[in-house]
Amino acid sequence: MATYMCMICGHIYDPSAGEPVQGIKAGTAFDQLADTWSCPVCSAEKRLFQKA
Amino acid sequence: MTGIDMTAREIVPGVFSVGAIDWDRRLFDELIPLPQGTSYNAYLVKGEEKAALIDTVDPAKEYELISNLCRMGIERIDYVVINHAEQDHAGSLPMILEFFPDAVIVTNEKCKDLLIALLHVPAEKFRVIRDREKISLGKRTLQFIITPWTHWPETQLTFLEEDRILFPCDLFGSHIATSDLFMSDERTTYVAAKRYYAEIMMPFRTSIRGYVGTVRGLNPAIIAPSHGPLYKNPSFILDAYADWTSDTVKNEVVLPYVSMHGSTLKMVDYFTDALIARGIAVKPFNLSKTDTGELAMAMVDAATVVIATPTVLFGPHPLVVYATYLANLLRPKVRYASVIGSYGWGGKASETVVKMLDHVKVEVLEPVMVRGLSDETALRGLDRLADEILKKHQELNLV
Repeated sequence: MATYMCMICGHIYDPSAGEPVQGIKAGTAFDQLADTWSCPVCSAEKRLFQKA
Repeated sequence: MTGIDMTAREIVPGVFSVGAIDWDRRLFDELIPLPQGTSYNAYLVKGEEKAALIDTVDPAKEYELISNLCRMGIERIDYVVINHAEQDHAGSLPMILEFFPDAVIVTNEKCKDLLIALLHVPAEKFRVIRDREKISLGKRTLQFIITPWTHWPETQLTFLEEDRILFPCDLFGSHIATSDLFMSDERTTYVAAKRYYAEIMMPFRTSIRGYVGTVRGLNPAIIAPSHGPLYKNPSFILDAYADWTSDTVKNEVVLPYVSMHGSTLKMVDYFTDALIARGIAVKPFNLSKTDTGELAMAMVDAATVVIATPTVLFGPHPLVVYATYLANLLRPKVRYASVIGSYGWGGKASETVVKMLDHVKVEVLEPVMVRGLSDETALRGLDRLADEILKKHQELNLV
């Protein structure tokens, strides 16, 4: 599954790790994240992520 | 300088620049060099019924703002529009509220939250606006365009519709202290605005790119940023931003370096010549003497960065770590990166530098690390790297 980079702060969303601090389980693809999901580092909106 | 440095100036009848010039300041955020000082521009817009102050000034200059308003005989401010919560623009808000206790703060929800957190402004002082909402001042209308990540998540633009004046706060600004209200020297302003973009706006390139079109759509006659001179010809700065925020890179290599005993310098000198010989522009920066703003500006449109470091104990020189950390934060649009340098008895200098670039989308070209002073074989390694860069730049049609 593809990783995505936050275009604001550079944080990488890695589906194999998920986002434990946000309660997002390992194995969750980027597309499966809610549209209201935001970057755990800088709070940028999901649309500001691009395929890494 | 001390005392009152500036008086209010008229932009068009009823619209004034009322901020302060900071001729002496030489460092911003204890980080960014200000070789030409700066200004904190605030604006007063008088409608037939209401008066609005747009942004304030750094708290160090709050008395100048108050003095300018007093000298103009301003007895009432109805609205204080805050486009951005950072202290160099919003920091004099508490003082303004002391002098004008009936003023209502007009801003977006996110900015309100930040102002409460940063300045302890009382929550009941706010009127929260939505994107594209308007406020009438009587024959004058302010429109607010919420533009997150044109620096911070709460940034917004204010557009004075009748006069077509855009107040974008930090966006499009430049750190220049000048007595010119409007840009008078294009070249000086271009360089200062590019430097400002590199230091402040570059991390938000993808986000800002879209807003350049939004601003063009407003067709402003004047752009009045919060630092530096105003633009009577908005396409000057809009075209520059369109270029800087585009994905286009130039046939350039930025080469930040440090050398302690000359081994790395020998490589840098050889590599610089090798790039020039291949028709590639090269900008070496000796980090022990470099103004980081100059380095950031060079990275705005270079295709490649090559970092040259000696090995201190087991890793890169701390000045290289500093520059690499900054580059990783500023996230320039460079496509390729590599490391060259030297070591005496071991270490992992190049690996450490490469690992630090985890927030920049680059392809890493094979580093060239040499034990001791480069011999002919080592220099061939630099030739190979220069060839590789040439090939990559040719693939991008830059050469």
